[in-house]
Formats: sequence, structure tokens, C-alpha cells
Amino acid sequence: MSPKERSDLLPGTLELLVLKTLSVEPMHGWGISQRIAQMSRDVFQVTQGSLYPALVRMKRRGWVKSEWRTTENNRSARYYMLTRAGERQLAAEQDAWDRSSAAVGWVLHWREGSA
Amino acid sequence: MSWWTESRERLYALLFRAREEREMAQELSFHLDMQTAQNERAGMSPQEARRQAYLALGGAEQVGAQMREARGVAWLEHITRDLRHGWRSMLRTPVLALVVIVSLGIGIGVNTAIFSWIQAIVLKPIPGVDDSRGFYLVEPRNEDTAPAANHARPQQSAGIRLNVSWPEYRDLREHLQSFDELIAFRMLPFTVGPAGDAVRAAGQLVSANYFTALGIEPTLGRFPSAHESARAQAEPVVVISHDYWQTRFAESAAVVGQTLRINDRDVTIVGVAPRGFQGTVLGLNFDLWLPAELAPLLLTGSRELEERGTRAYSAAGRLRPHVTLAQAQAEVDAVMADLALTYPESNANVRADVLAYWRAPRGPQQFLLPALAILQGIMLLLLLAVCANTANLLLARATMRQHEINVRRALGASRWRIVSLLLSESLVLALLGAGAGIAIAYWGTNALRAGPMITAFPIKYNTDVDALGLAAAVLLGITCGLAFGIAPALQLLRGSTHGTLRSGASAATRSALRSTLMGVEVALALVVLVAAAIFLQNFSETRAVDPGFERDGALLAAYDFSGRNLDDAQLRIFAAELLQRVRALPGVESAAIARMVPLDIHGMPVRTFTLEGRARESAAADQSAINIVTPGYFTTMNIPLLAGSDFVDLNDPAAAPQVIVNEEFVRRYLDGAEPIGRRVQAYERTFTITGVAATTLYNSFSESPTPLIYYSYRDRPSMAGELHVRTRPGAELALAPGIRRVARDIDPLLAIYDVRTLNEHVDKNLIFRRIPARMFVVLGPLLLVLAAMGIYAVVAFTVSRRTSEIGLRLALGAPAHRVIAQIVRETLRVVTIGAAIGWFLAFIVYIHVAVGRPLDPAVFLGVPALLVLVAAVAAWVPARRVSRIDPMRTLRQE
Repeated sequence: MSPKERSDLLPGTLELLVLKTLSVEPMHGWGISQRIAQMSRDVFQVTQGSLYPALVRMKRRGWVKSEWRTTENNRSARYYMLTRAGERQLAAEQDAWDRSSAAVGWVLHWREGSA
Repeated sequence: MSWWTESRERLYALLFRAREEREMAQELSFHLDMQTAQNERAGMSPQEARRQAYLALGGAEQVGAQMREARGVAWLEHITRDLRHGWRSMLRTPVLALVVIVSLGIGIGVNTAIFSWIQAIVLKPIPGVDDSRGFYLVEPRNEDTAPAANHARPQQSAGIRLNVSWPEYRDLREHLQSFDELIAFRMLPFTVGPAGDAVRAAGQLVSANYFTALGIEPTLGRFPSAHESARAQAEPVVVISHDYWQTRFAESAAVVGQTLRINDRDVTIVGVAPRGFQGTVLGLNFDLWLPAELAPLLLTGSRELEERGTRAYSAAGRLRPHVTLAQAQAEVDAVMADLALTYPESNANVRADVLAYWRAPRGPQQFLLPALAILQGIMLLLLLAVCANTANLLLARATMRQHEINVRRALGASRWRIVSLLLSESLVLALLGAGAGIAIAYWGTNALRAGPMITAFPIKYNTDVDALGLAAAVLLGITCGLAFGIAPALQLLRGSTHGTLRSGASAATRSALRSTLMGVEVALALVVLVAAAIFLQNFSETRAVDPGFERDGALLAAYDFSGRNLDDAQLRIFAAELLQRVRALPGVESAAIARMVPLDIHGMPVRTFTLEGRARESAAADQSAINIVTPGYFTTMNIPLLAGSDFVDLNDPAAAPQVIVNEEFVRRYLDGAEPIGRRVQAYERTFTITGVAATTLYNSFSESPTPLIYYSYRDRPSMAGELHVRTRPGAELALAPGIRRVARDIDPLLAIYDVRTLNEHVDKNLIFRRIPARMFVVLGPLLLVLAAMGIYAVVAFTVSRRTSEIGLRLALGAPAHRVIAQIVRETLRVVTIGAAIGWFLAFIVYIHVAVGRPLDPAVFLGVPALLVLVAAVAAWVPARRVSRIDPMRTLRQE
């Protein structure tokens, strides 16, 4: 995808995306960045550098925890997984996002005469 | 919940920092490898793949730094690193560090010690009781309309302070709603032990609700119940103190139920008071607590439980919640007014004040607290002087680091980081100083307690450095550290913004700050030194004051018959017998017995009297200090009899009751009339004035002349007394065994205690002046040395900066002494300005505190002169050193 079509991430959504990614399966940092790009159909190319500090923050808040595992290539990597608090946070943020995006949609697509 | 997880994560981040760093590096390198592999699969060359991976990540170092920030403990790591740096740089100049730490330690230490003492009196007046600040005393006062000069002791407000009588206490307790539980207590010495082997113990007679109202729990056993207290006469009970349990019973668990023989009666021990509880009189340490109902039993003939006129008790209690002091006072006023109407003989004109414990009108804290407050103020000034000194020393050293700071700034360190770096060094010094200060405070408070304070009642202030004191010390340390660290930090910052990385840049403006600090330090030092000099002078003067009697060569020994069933005749016979035998001992010039010794910390008793032929000035009777003495007293004490004669012999049955009054009594009450033959009425009897004695000191060294009536032992023999024996100075204590033997021969059951010389006794009165005097003897010279060091450092540094200029002048032929003189003159200019400011400050404070006293030239001229002299020497030494250098060398350095 051309650089023009890539969007910048709104602040705060990075963490939401990470939470969603990890809700599928535990993953290491490299995998997360790849997966986000894939899931967003390449719209979001996470500046990889901002991913790791975000992960540290989320770990500090108790939304994710990490452990060291070996990959298929027999290398050791740090895998992240959701905690229960993280699952709750994901559900809450998902709710909020759905509501606000729906509302924005209504506003943007509002026509004269519609209810 | 998340707050907890966050804190936990931060804690882990702190503790496992090394491991975290390792894992972080590992994680990032893994990421880079994966990205590199992906790039290679996309067709890039290995080097290109690696480079692109690096770029995509955004720079591993940057990411690492961001991750560390995200960990949330970065600031803490910065601080720990700064503190370590501060520690190392401190080690590089050990002498400076030692000087700073020691001087700070002393400054903080004395402040903490005095603060602990003040705190012990004000915040924790009843040791061992929680929140004893909430206790208030109900102190009656006789509203005498006579002028304030008519009192035997200086009082706070008009009127003479009185105790509460037991029936009055019962009324107050019943009618006062503002108090939760009003307790009553009185203090007494008791004779404990079997006859012949008795010792003295200090105890309190207390009301039944005493322990419950205080809210304390016994260590062992129980406290007497209300029922037990009421029945105490049938089954006497006592509670002993923790200290007493330790020293006399070796903490034996079987002490409950044992019997103590108190004042010749068997009393059962029911409980042991908690550790640290020493009674409810400020500053005194008691061993026994007995129900007040035992008074008639233990004090033979006492009718204090029924008589309203016998005022022996103190009343105190906590205010009920939401009751203000004003409300309590109003209620007390109403109740006392009521009592005045109902019982006019005992309560007419008597009001009562509700006072916070530390304002209790009796006891040493009356003059102790203001003195301590002044002392604390002076010590704070001392600490400030130390800080100014330290700031100067650090400033001098900091300028040598200008280059280093400039480099750091050029490398991108923020101003905040620089300040933090420099402050951390000061903080390390300050915290170490605080540590030293705490150690000194501990030692100091221990030294205070080790002093022998046994008078009739053992004095014990609980002046331990507790949590609050420690917190105060640390707070002082941090404040000082910031205070003297800020100056060099700001100075260096300002220097660095000039952006010059060149060395050798001159710094003329910096000397202004140094000079100011030096001036400030000199001013403060002068104030403290003047205060020290005044204290010391006052102390030495007081010691030299003639008390009116002869101090050297007299021995005192106390005895007490309280509790023994002896009548007046027997007491007289004992006294006569004792005196006869003592006078027969070798070396004894004269001997006498008196009820009280002058200059006792507890003061002479005050009693009412009526002088026949003198109109009363108010409804209340006149009051005067009294003493009871045997014939021969005035000879023994070497107090001149100015008129009339001494008392008749103890066994003379015929003569009418006699009194001897002192000169002040005559002046105040007789108005020039002839005193001999006039009659005085007291104790429901009539006495005739037979003599006039010179006025002496009775209660304290600074009292104004006080009227006093001497009663004859013949007419009013007392149960307790002090034997006074006059001998050659130096031979006093040698008489002690002889006296004990004589007493034992007459009455084997009587204990002789508290044998001491009159000089020792008088010195005890000065004990509260001695402590600050001792402190100043040490601190005064110390401060002088510190000031000298500070000035030396500043001058040494200043001239070192100007070596090139000085070298040039010397090379051009200027005589060395002129150069030295100029440097010294410059320094002295600042010093004299500082000294002048300090002098004015001291002067202003002095006029306010020591009203009416003339300025002592020795202090107000001598001290500044000394300080300036010291400063001149401190400036001369480095100036002379630099003038000796080879001018050619300095010129070559340029």
C-alpha cells in the first residue's frame, strides 16, 4: 500500500489494537506489529518503536503479562498475553469505540429531514 | 486495583533493574533479527536488510530509553544515580565533607534535643498516656485584690494559686458536664518498708477513677475498682510503677498480692502500672499510687477528705468531645461561684482556671518552657549560621567544577538535571549531617537524664528523641541541604549559560554572593555568641549571688515521721534529743532543725496569717511563706538576727507562742512600726513576734524579696524535717555516719535520707540554668571556629583566583604587607558590616527580653571585638601565604 493511504494512529488506539491482537492468541512484539498491519489491511503500519514502550505501559497497568518462550525457530522471545483485567479493558474500550464511532457516523451522514 | 498492580510493577522495575535491562536488550535484538530476516526474504542484501530493520524500529537506543521512561521509575533511577554521584564527589574532598557533616550534626543535634524536650512538655505532658495533650487542669486561684508584690512566688495572674480540696473535687466532679472524667491526685513522700529498714518512695493519692480516666492498662494485676477504693481503709491497696517493679521486685510475677509496708501500715499490691507511666505531675516520677480514701490511715490525723479548707489536691480531666475550652471555663466559673456562696470560709473569692497541662502553674516548666523556647530560637540561628558557612564552603568548591558543568550542558543535560545533580551532593552531606545530629541528640538527651535530679521528688522528663523528633531532624537536614545547595547550583548554572568552555574566565559577580553569605554568617554568629555570653555570665553571676545564708560547710539530712503516731510532745523531745547529741559530735559547730531548706526546687509553703492591728486589704487573709525552725537555726545558717532574739528553748513550757519574721515582712506589713511584741494570728492561735531576721533567698535566685514567717519548732513541731549541721567547709560529709548513728540510737525505726551538703542542695536549684550554660560553653567556641573556617575558606579561595593579579603587583614592587593589608581590609569590611547588623539584632532582642537591665560592656563590646579579631586572623593567614609565592611563577601561568 502506498504511503499516502497509511493513516496515523489516534493516540490510545495503539493499545486498543494490541489488546485486540492479544485476545486472539499470545504473541511476541514482532508478531504483534505484523499482525496489526495484517489485520488493518496495511492501513496501520505501527511505528515499531512506539510498540514496545506501549507494551511496557500496558504491563505496568496490569493489562498484559509476559513470559519468555521459545519460538518455532528455537529462539527465545518474550510473549505477551492478556490478563483478566486486560480482557475487561478490551471489552470496555470496544464498547466505547463502537458507540462513539456510531455517533460520529450519524453526525457525518446526517441529512436534512432524517430523524 | 490497578494502583496496586502499578505500584507492584514499579517495585519490580526498581529491584530487578539489571535483569530488566538484559531482557529489554534481548527483546529488541530479537525484533531486529526477525525484521532483518523478513527484509532479506523480500530481496534486500543482508547489510541493507539490517539497516532497514534498524530504521524501521526507530533506533534501538531511542526505543530503549522510551521503554525505560514507560517503566515509570526513571525519576527514581535518576535520583539514585545522582545520590551515588554525590557520595563519590563527597569522598573526593573528605576534609570539607567532614567539617560540613560535623557542624551540621551539631546544629541539627542541639535543635532536635531541645525540640524533643519542648515536645515532651507540651505534646506529651503525661508520659505513658495516649494523647495526654487533651488533659486540662482545673487550678483554683484566690482572687486577691492586693498588688502582685504581695505574693511569695511570682504568679501568672492576680491571685495566689491554690490546690483543690477533696470535698471541692467531689462537687466539681458531680457538677461539671464539660469534663469527661475528672480525676484528683496529690503527691506525697512515703516511707516504705519494715521499721528500721525503711526507704523513701514518692507516691500519689488518687481518686477512684484515676486509671480508667487516663485510659491505661496495667502491666500486671489490675487497678483498684471503685468499690475497692471506697473500702480502702478496711483493705488498703496500692499500684506500683513499672520502674519500681523492676528495681525492687526484679519484675517478679508474684508481686501481685504481696504486702508493702507503707507509712507503717500493711498495704496490698494489686497491680503494676504500664511502662513509661510515671504519674500525673509534670516532670515528676512516682512509684506508688494509693486511693485517696487511705489518707486518714496513712497520714495520721489527716482530715483532708472532709475539710474544705485543706487544699491538697489537683484536679484534671479530658474535655468531652465538642466542648471548647471557653465553654469549660465558663462552666467552671459558674460552679466555683456557686461554691463561693455556699461555703464562704473556704471558697470566698476563689475562682478556678482551666489550663492546658503544660501551663500548670506549679513545677519547673513555668520557667522552663520560656527558657527552652528562647534556647530553641538561638539554636535555629546557630543552624542558619552553619548553613551559611557550608554554602560558602560549597560555593568556593563549586566554582572549580564550572568546566565540568559546562561540558554537561553542552552535551544536552537539562537545567533541571544539573540542579538535581548538584543538589544531590548537598543532600548527601545534609542527610549524613542529620544522621550525626540524631546521634548527638540521643547522646544529649541521655546526658540530660543522667543528671542527678533527685530532690524531694525525683524529677524525670521523658525527653527521648521519638518519631516526631527524628522526623524533625531529617526535615531540618533536607531543608538545610536544599538551602546551602541551592546557592552553588544556581551559581554554576548561571556560569554555564555563558556557554564558555574556556577555563580561566573571571567571576567578579560571584564574589558578591560569597561576601553576602560571609556577612550573613558573621551576623548570625554574633547574635548566637552574644546570647551565649549572656547565658554564661548570668549563670556565673547567679552562682556568686549571696543567698543570705552561708553555703559552705553545712550538711543537711532529712527525716520523716509521717505515718507514725507521734504527738507534739514526742516530736519536741526527739528534736531536742537529736540536736543535743549531734552538737556533741566532734567537728560540729552548731546544729538546728528546720522544716524546709531554702532554694528547694519545690518552694517554701505559703500559709495565711492575720497581723493584729493591720487592716485587711481584701476579704481574703494575708499570705506569707513560712518555715518551721528550732532555736539555733539562724546561727547554724549564719543568717543575722537584726532585732529581738532567737526562739526560746524547745522544752521551755512557759513562754507564749513565738514567731520570727524577716526584714521584708516588716517592710511590707509593719510600715515602720516596731515589730517586736506585735501579734500574729494563724492556725487558730496567736503568736508574738520575738525577732527579725535578715531576708534571704527562699525559692529561686532571681526572686524579688519575699516576706517570711519563721515558726518555732516548739510551737508547731513538724513530722518531717531537715537537720542542718554547721562544720568546717570540706568536712561536711564526714559527719554523715555520726549523724545516722545518733538518729538510730534515739529512734531505730526512723530513716535518715537525702544526706547532702547545703552547697549541693543549692546547686540543684541551678540545674536548669546549668544545662544551657554547659551547652554554650561548648557551642560558643565551636561557632567561633566555624566562622573562622568559613572566612578562611572564602579568603583563601578569593586570593587563589587573584593570584595572577597579586603576583603582578608583587612583581611590580608592591611591598608584601601592603598587599596583605589590602586583602584583610576588604574582608574586614564585609565582616564588620555583618557584625554590625548582628549587633543591632542582638541589641533589639536584648532590650525586649532583659527589660531594664543595663548593657554589659564585656558582652556587647567584647564579643564583637573577639569575632572581628578572629575574622582578621582568618583572613590574614591565606593572604600572607599567597604573598609569599614567587611572582614569576604566577605570571608564567597566565
